[in-house]
Amino acid sequence: MDIFLSIPFLIFMPLVVSALLISPLFTRNEIVVRRFSKSVCLFHFLYSVLMLACFDKANPYMSEIHFFGLDWIQSLGIKFIFKIDAVSMILTVLTSFVFLLASLASKLNIRKSHKFYYSMLFLLMSAILGIFTSADMFVFFLFWELELIPAYFLIGGRWKEEVSAYDNNKNAGNSAIKFVLFTFFGSMIMLLGILLLYYYNFTSNGILSAGFSDITDSSIPGCIQIFIAVCLLTGFGVKLPIIPLHTWLPDAHTNAPTPVSMILAGILLKTGAYGIYRFNYQTLPDSFITIAPILAVFALVNIIYTAFIAYAQTDIKRIVAYSSISNMGLILLGLCALNQIGLSASIFHIVAHALVTCGLFMIAGIVYLRCKTRDINTLSGIASVMPRFFGFAVLIVLASIGIPAFAPFISEILTIIGAMNSDFSDILKVAALFSLPLLILSSCYMLKFLHKGFFGETPKEYEKVNDLSVHEFLVLASVLAGLVIFGLFPNAILNILS
Amino acid sequence: MLNDIFNILLPHICLGGFIILQLILSMVLSPRFCRYARLISVIGIALSIILLSTVQTEPQYFAFKNSLMSDSYTLLFDFEILLCGFFAALLTKNLIKTIKRNAYTFHAIFLTAIFGAMNIISANDFLTLFVSIELLSFSTYFLIASSKGYYSKEASFKYLLTSAISTGVFLFGVSYLYGITGSLNLSEIYELTANRDVSLMYSISAVMIVLGIISKLAVFPFANWIIDVYKGTETSVLAFLSTVPKLAIFGILCRLLVFPLGNSFELTFAVAILSLITALWANTYAIRENNVKVIFACSASANASYVLLTASLVSVYNLSTVIFYLLCYVIMNISVFAFLNIYGDKNPMNINDFKGMFHKNHGLTIAYAVSVIALAGIPITSGFIAKIYLFTAIANSGLIFVPFLLALLLLMVVALFYYLKIILPVFCECDKNTDITILKPVFSQKFVLIVTTAVTLLIGIFPERIIELCRFIAYNI
Repeated sequence: MDIFLSIPFLIFMPLVVSALLISPLFTRNEIVVRRFSKSVCLFHFLYSVLMLACFDKANPYMSEIHFFGLDWIQSLGIKFIFKIDAVSMILTVLTSFVFLLASLASKLNIRKSHKFYYSMLFLLMSAILGIFTSADMFVFFLFWELELIPAYFLIGGRWKEEVSAYDNNKNAGNSAIKFVLFTFFGSMIMLLGILLLYYYNFTSNGILSAGFSDITDSSIPGCIQIFIAVCLLTGFGVKLPIIPLHTWLPDAHTNAPTPVSMILAGILLKTGAYGIYRFNYQTLPDSFITIAPILAVFALVNIIYTAFIAYAQTDIKRIVAYSSISNMGLILLGLCALNQIGLSASIFHIVAHALVTCGLFMIAGIVYLRCKTRDINTLSGIASVMPRFFGFAVLIVLASIGIPAFAPFISEILTIIGAMNSDFSDILKVAALFSLPLLILSSCYMLKFLHKGFFGETPKEYEKVNDLSVHEFLVLASVLAGLVIFGLFPNAILNILS
Repeated sequence: MLNDIFNILLPHICLGGFIILQLILSMVLSPRFCRYARLISVIGIALSIILLSTVQTEPQYFAFKNSLMSDSYTLLFDFEILLCGFFAALLTKNLIKTIKRNAYTFHAIFLTAIFGAMNIISANDFLTLFVSIELLSFSTYFLIASSKGYYSKEASFKYLLTSAISTGVFLFGVSYLYGITGSLNLSEIYELTANRDVSLMYSISAVMIVLGIISKLAVFPFANWIIDVYKGTETSVLAFLSTVPKLAIFGILCRLLVFPLGNSFELTFAVAILSLITALWANTYAIRENNVKVIFACSASANASYVLLTASLVSVYNLSTVIFYLLCYVIMNISVFAFLNIYGDKNPMNINDFKGMFHKNHGLTIAYAVSVIALAGIPITSGFIAKIYLFTAIANSGLIFVPFLLALLLLMVVALFYYLKIILPVFCECDKNTDITILKPVFSQKFVLIVTTAVTLLIGIFPERIIELCRFIAYNI
């Protein structure tokens, strides 16, 4: 069975599809392009699920790619190594799933340049999968940078024929540039960290290699180790985002089309969390113990501060965007706990939050398509005209608040337990205690949105809107199914991690 | 003896023959035949490249009482110079049309500039070096001034003035060095100064010499010329100006830093700080500019400063990264100017003139975008590998240089901003009533653009062989 399952195929299949889609040979017929992309996404998802089914924790998938029998850049010790361990496996399947949802959601939101759009979508998919699976720092960095190009076009592109005052293209372009510059700033600082790590590894161990498995932090002097860790954290902190570096996120999420927002919040932010896990948590554990309490404070600020900002917003997408930052704080807190429970909780919350946020952005997109506005002060009474949609919206919003029987509940509780159990610093315990109000705060802003948007008098112009289409139903139903399944059987994920 | 001379100078002799041929034709032929001037230049350069392959590299050869030399290092740089010259010559078609009468003279000067650049690389004596640099400079003044209009004359004159000052500084440094060692030969100076405590005089002369040479790269004290010069110069000449002198100057500079001047620690720091200031100046200057040529001028100055910083931290490993970076950089640059050449020469070339061009010219603009993205250092282009490789060199030079590295990395972000500023209007949507330029490239322009872009992508994906080559050459210097 194992011989059919290869990581290069998993990563480079989207890249090949992307090249195929943009080539002039491929048809311009939008229906063909769309169906082709959807089926590729579905196939990719099934393939990754198959890999998950055959996954064996004791010997994770490894593969090395050689160019003409050489390592990629032999003289620098850079190799194209890929490795899928438990965390990468879960994130890979999640990536595949979110892209499947996004490709389903694209039907109503993307109205022009289909070939280019789907091509960029697959390029982004390839880059993100590369980040999650690479086992070499420079290859990781390569994919990290590669993701900028498709992300720029997806956020800043004009994918609709008509332009309303609400999503005018100039805003989208500006927020895309903001995203690119912020990320590039972060990744340049991160590169400094990687280079120093590489240099110290070479001088002390004599191995010219940037592979994660070859790097040990024991020989690096303490203060330099912390410097490296801070450099790396800056890079990941832009993506995650950690509070002072977060300003790109609300703009990018608000101006991007719905499926792209789903990808951004569902997966792209998680690359930051993954980076912290892979670099700081695994490769530089000594310095991470020193930094973790400070980072926990940042996490707490993330959680509380953005929850208040979210409450002040009136645009649905901005509410969801700020709630994402708030949830990212929770993931960071789980990682800072530095124990198995905290780690499992973080990874579990990555999955749960990806599902929730996909659902929420989908809801925002559906509302916007029907009512042409996302302002909760002007929206009202959608519940009576779209009953099925209302049902889904209530359930997903409840899940996001952290009601039992849904996945986020498990991860929030586990995170707090993990942080409480961390035995190296009291700050973690305090942070855990203070992060409990998140549950109340998130219910404040989420229920406000539900209350103002769905109840009340129905204006006349809303009376003719249609209820959910098949694609929207599929997306919301699969999100909800995922939330319920992982909420009732959390061991499905926790067992892989333990 | 004669054998040695032939072994070193065969490509030079060939090029010289073609210079004389062009000069004779310029007197004999009427302006009607101007279009053959380009063809003759291209054939001459191609022939030199072929003859270059017959040159033996091992061991080092010396000629004319050790004033010229040849080894694998000079061979590589000669090859790069000829290649850049070849591409630039192919791009001169539009320029030739406007200067009909002087087409042959122009190409004679063009070949002379390449001849001078090759001589700089081979120079093993300060006098030869001086003469070669002047040969290259004087040819360049004429090349810049060749296109019609006021701007080109202004550009040429500014370049002349700056070069004159820097030449003075260079000669001042050489005279000190002659006073200390009593010799002008690089090998002899190296033997006299190696393993000996350096005096203050030696350091001063080293700094002066390097300062005089690097003014051609638009590094800080002599940086201002580059903006006016780029503004006023025709694009095919720019393709030449932004590559060939740079290769020649870096070629000799690395040799000087490794051999006769390498003993001075002050020099390293002086040059490192100067290049940092240049990088800061060039990158911040470009932010508020809207003229594409000026932005590329700043980019040229900034890139030169990154390489200079690495080259000043002398080690064999750094030398290999410098060679690799230069190789990638000149190819990207030629690609960019090939696109601007296809676009045609307008003054000033505003970034908004390129608006929406993607929708009418897919292939050409994608090639252009790939080269600009490569300049910004984004993967899968050669620029990414080159930047990473360069930065590993600075990181490996020691902890003192970490602040320099940090500054460079932050400046990369600034650089990305102005590269995006160039590239984004090309892809932006525009209203139906704006007229988008449809480009009509001739074959030679398309050829240059496609070949250079393909090489940029190929090195980005399979860099190993080229890096090996650069390392081999750096270790054999």
